[in-house]
Amino acid sequence: MARVVVVTSGKGGVGKTTSCASIGTALAMHGYRTVLIDFDVGLRNLDLVMGCERRVVYDLINVTTGEAKLSQALIKDKRLDGLYMLPASQTRDKDALTYEGVGEVIDALKEEFDFIICDSPAGIERGAILAMYYADEAIVVSNPEVSSVRDSDRIIGLLDSKTRRAENGETVKTQLLITRYDPERVEHSDMMSMQDIEEILAIPVVGVIPESPAVLRASNQGIPVVHDAPSDAGQAYSDTVARFLGEEKPMRFVELERKGLFSRMFGGRR
Amino acid sequence: MKRLRNFFQKESDHSADVARERLKMMISQDRMQRSQPDFLPRLQNELIEVIKRYTQSEQSDIHVSYHSLPQRAQIELNVSWPRNTP
Repeated sequence: MARVVVVTSGKGGVGKTTSCASIGTALAMHGYRTVLIDFDVGLRNLDLVMGCERRVVYDLINVTTGEAKLSQALIKDKRLDGLYMLPASQTRDKDALTYEGVGEVIDALKEEFDFIICDSPAGIERGAILAMYYADEAIVVSNPEVSSVRDSDRIIGLLDSKTRRAENGETVKTQLLITRYDPERVEHSDMMSMQDIEEILAIPVVGVIPESPAVLRASNQGIPVVHDAPSDAGQAYSDTVARFLGEEKPMRFVELERKGLFSRMFGGRR
Repeated sequence: MKRLRNFFQKESDHSADVARERLKMMISQDRMQRSQPDFLPRLQNELIEVIKRYTQSEQSDIHVSYHSLPQRAQIELNVSWPRNTP
């Protein structure tokens, strides 16, 4: 049974697309057939983060309008078997995407894939609602920062009311992914802790991704950061996906690492 | 250890605690507003209008509050006005 998962946040720039790319990649590494759908019409970026921007020919809207077949629009990942992406349209107007059209595409993808990951645009407008509408589960991405947490709460409210499952009296299983976490600043009481945010939003934390230079490096290269196995962020994403799949994993990179004199003097940032 | 560091680090004023308290306040307000029906502000204004027609109430004497109960919704109306002593 295919699972439709929306990655959403309300606020922009918190790491939805980065997270989507790494979560999808890690699911494929586990052997699940996974497709990523970019819902950000006009601001397509998932293709860049996945490193397949030069292979985009057709997009989601082309498929919903019948200009292209689904199989023509799907882009196969060059690193992993069983990983595909469906890019967003770059030029058309946002209203070109319809509930019926998206529903048909998702139904067709359910035949082929284990996981359908929807990368939501920022905001709470139609595009964001459309991205979450067919979801069975949600991963809400939040930074430990007031405006991001508040917007996440708003999105959680919408997941409880505007989705198809909500309309049918069911719930969307919603989990929290905290990104750009800095244990040192948390230690100094200059950043809200994971526990603070979990308590305020009242949804379980599926993962915490530390602030890490590896993230920018990965998106620069168009390689999802989870491929960077030695990096902290890469490991945090792979733990997150293991937890998402039901494994018990302790949270890593949430405690301040006590650096010895040696690593202070010679240890650069990885 | 933490206390010792904070002693030397005056500039970090536990801003995370401030953030947490502000957020809790804001979010509970947001949630309350979200659960209210869209017609509530209009209903409130019309009620105030009608009440003012009959009493010498000021706007601040009229309180309309909305409660969402598990099975039903409720509005609570609290009105007071100065008594005309003859």
